[in-house]
Amino acid sequence: MSYAGYVIAAYAVFAAVLLWDFVAPRIRIAQVLRAVRLLARRDPARARNAAQELKR
Amino acid sequence: METGGSPACGRAAPLPQRADVPMSNMNPVVRWFHQLGSPPYFDRFAARWAPWAFALGLATMAVGMYLGLFVVPADYQQGDSFRILYIHVPSAWMSMAMFALMAFYGAIALVWRIKLCEILAMACAPVGAAFTLITLATGSIWGKPMWGTWWDWDPRLTSQLVLLFLYFGVIGLYAAIEDRRAAARAASLLAIVGVVMLPIIRYSVVWWNSLHQGQTIRVFGESSMDASMLPPLLWMVVGTKFWAIGSVLARARADNLQREAGKDWVRRAAGVER
Repeated sequence: MSYAGYVIAAYAVFAAVLLWDFVAPRIRIAQVLRAVRLLARRDPARARNAAQELKR
Repeated sequence: METGGSPACGRAAPLPQRADVPMSNMNPVVRWFHQLGSPPYFDRFAARWAPWAFALGLATMAVGMYLGLFVVPADYQQGDSFRILYIHVPSAWMSMAMFALMAFYGAIALVWRIKLCEILAMACAPVGAAFTLITLATGSIWGKPMWGTWWDWDPRLTSQLVLLFLYFGVIGLYAAIEDRRAAARAASLLAIVGVVMLPIIRYSVVWWNSLHQGQTIRVFGESSMDASMLPPLLWMVVGTKFWAIGSVLARARADNLQREAGKDWVRRAAGVER
């Protein structure tokens, strides 16, 4: 008996979980670095606005 | 090297360097451990070695899967369904090894308050949970044709399910507390308590009447599995180890970056010019 369907299903689960395991930290690292970049872009703008407020 | 380049960098105030042992005169291994405790150093280390560990794991597992699926003959009783063993058994071993490693890092984090060990302990949890999920799913898929059922409240299966819930508990507890350091310490405590499950899982097939088969592969002594069927298993065992190293490093790097997001070195890593 081959049970090919069961074997394929088991290996597919294995591959899918490992794929998630590979991708998930990469997505999180990209999100963190993006957030840092956005914050850096926003902070100078905020500093400029604060300086203008003080001039007024 | 960055300041705070010692494992004690997670303390409120870093320990002063002993004047009579400058870093340059330290034993290289001790110095490397001190450097590894520095968040920017660890980030570079993880960024460099995680892809290699993933690649080695993938290559080793590819060899194991090829041998297991196409080279090794079918079992005389179970037919081809026994090939599921090549992903089920290494994953089961990894599920327990990752829990032990998580508890080990957790104990160090609790006793010596080393921030990197908190990060590493928490990085072990999702990786271990992934391997536990694979173990349960593949065991269930194998069980249907062999036992005639997807699930049975057997001691081995139930204890493995409890292990998955413990992983979820650690992940959930770490996510639930806002203070990252307090969260890691609370979750580490749960991990240490949860270690009690490991001998229960290991000896469940001995202590109780179990539908699950007993030990077939022995490191010391003769395995009841035919020698021709062992090489793919060994390849897969080594492959999953490399994979887990890569995954823990990648996840620890992500957590490290998130914790240190306000620091200059992270801004530099993100490509932000000052």
